[in-house]
Amino acid sequence: MKRLMAIWVGLGALGAFAAELPTAEELLDKMDQNMTFESRRSRTVMTVEGRRTRTFEMVGYGRGQDDAAIEYIAPARDKGTRMLKLGDQLWIYLPGVDRVQKISGHMLRQGMMGSDVSYEDMMASNDLRSRYVAQVVGEEKLDGRPAWKLELKAKDDTVSYPRRVTWIDQETFIPVKQELYALSGMLLKVWTMSEVKEFPGGRKFPTKMVIQDQIKKESVTRLEFKELQFGVELEKEIFALRWLERR
Amino acid sequence: MSTTFRLAARNTTRRKARTFFTAGMVVFGVGVLLVSLTFVRGMFGTMLRSIISIGGHVRVVDADFAAREALNPLEENVAVIAPVVELLRRQPGVRAVEPRIMAGVTVTKGEEIGDYFALAVGAHERYFREQLGAREKLVQGAWFGDGPDDLLVGARLAQRMDVRVGDELVLLGTTQDGSLSPVKGTVVGIVQTGGGQLDHQVWMPLEKLQWMTDIPEGATELLVFGEGLSEGLALAQRLSGLPELKAYAVQAWNEREPLKSMSGMVAGMQGIIVFTFVFLTALGIWNTMTMSVLERTHEIGVLRAMGMTRKTVVGLFVGEGLAIALGGGLLGVLLGLGPAWLLDHKGIRLGERLSESVSAPVPETIRGDLNLEVVLLSFGLGLLMALLGSLLPALRAASIQPVSAMRSGR
Repeated sequence: MKRLMAIWVGLGALGAFAAELPTAEELLDKMDQNMTFESRRSRTVMTVEGRRTRTFEMVGYGRGQDDAAIEYIAPARDKGTRMLKLGDQLWIYLPGVDRVQKISGHMLRQGMMGSDVSYEDMMASNDLRSRYVAQVVGEEKLDGRPAWKLELKAKDDTVSYPRRVTWIDQETFIPVKQELYALSGMLLKVWTMSEVKEFPGGRKFPTKMVIQDQIKKESVTRLEFKELQFGVELEKEIFALRWLERR
Repeated sequence: MSTTFRLAARNTTRRKARTFFTAGMVVFGVGVLLVSLTFVRGMFGTMLRSIISIGGHVRVVDADFAAREALNPLEENVAVIAPVVELLRRQPGVRAVEPRIMAGVTVTKGEEIGDYFALAVGAHERYFREQLGAREKLVQGAWFGDGPDDLLVGARLAQRMDVRVGDELVLLGTTQDGSLSPVKGTVVGIVQTGGGQLDHQVWMPLEKLQWMTDIPEGATELLVFGEGLSEGLALAQRLSGLPELKAYAVQAWNEREPLKSMSGMVAGMQGIIVFTFVFLTALGIWNTMTMSVLERTHEIGVLRAMGMTRKTVVGLFVGEGLAIALGGGLLGVLLGLGPAWLLDHKGIRLGERLSESVSAPVPETIRGDLNLEVVLLSFGLGLLMALLGSLLPALRAASIQPVSAMRSGR
């Protein structure tokens, strides 16, 4: 009788814990409310620390999940370099030779401006739900703040990172830390987000990101959004190939 | 001793057919050895000279560059070359110091983005002219002028891309940090060096590649040219001892790939060739000499009964083998000299595909290296074949008991 009681109590406790866990879909929905947008304009400073520290400043434009444009405004060497992502295609304009180069094949795996963020990362869609099967695996504290821990496994092997482990802050629903793994199980990158600010409409968004390519051991890339506006009116011309060569 | 040798020499005329057969094997062995060694040594020598003219007798690079050279890590460079070049030039035995950068690029002609990959080489004009001797290999256009945008293109690349003198090329590479970085230039000339890999390169002034790779005052390699191969090794040792170069890897020509692997490979190849022909010919000689011993068992018995020592019997048969090898070896050398001379003077054309597929800069035509050392070595190996081939039968003959030998009736 005592044993039966113990099993009953145990099952009850387990059920109560399971009831407290939100589903992965709920968490990803809430995360998307913050991280996705109709349009965005930003001014970002990217610092690549490694053997040498280099600082880039760029203006970025985003339209939905698929389209993005970046123009480098500093340093002088890279000023005028533009990148345009339309769907799953990416082009770069190189002002020094006045050429547009499509980034494809092995070039996609190279770090954007030698940073820890690859062109492939830039190309990747934010829509994790369509490409991954997500599961909440528990909760952990990150920097003293409670976060849900999710494990995402790719539905097929066409994605850059077949496995991701993501920690979503329980209060802001920002993916404060992401570990990105290769098919072999090797940890490729760690992506953290911090300095979350609230924007009009109640949107919360991180203004600092740190990306560490685990293969390039001595390298760290820091992104800091100096200006960030959501829901802004953007010129249509920005998302056309002509924009790349526009003077 | 002279009696033994006279006896041995006389024995060679007793069975003329067998002697000719044995001598024929020595002729073949020595002749083939002479041709093979001429070719192998010539091939290695050609590669060696070619590689040293490209990469110097000694090379000074960042230690991490040396460790990961296959990946061509641009970030592992000598950031400021001027003081190091100055220091190297002051050293005795240093004929020239040439900074160089090599970087993989995508080459584009016209508006279309091309799929042509090539190696861009940035160095002072002097390096291409004096070390590579490329000015004499210009097949179209002119040599580098004063223009910072001047490019020289290898003949193969030019042919594949249909590049002509006056064309504008865009080379897309990366900086040392990995950022995409393009440079534009005008083709002033096309060079045909005969080296598959060199003819796929694009050459430009060092400053231009320094800009592309964002190594403004540096280079990835400092190539030091000395006076000769052995002096090169001594020079590397002296330079390694300089305290100012402690932070760098100072490598002699024989410590760098592909020469490091090649020297072992060539030694192995020579060993296999020598072993094969010495073994086969010795086997043939052993066979005929054994027959000779069996035929002359009775005679050996008589000679032993008359007081001939075992040592003399051994000398008799070994002497016979050596006498045959002496004649056969001389004839083998004479016969081998013809093809070896042709290899030395005309060479063998490997063809474009083969010279491209080898990682070392191999010219399309490989010439042999016929010299006195190879001739003497081949002849000496002929004598060794005879010695090895006749020793066992000679020992067998020496072990024959006189009484039983005379009873055998043979």
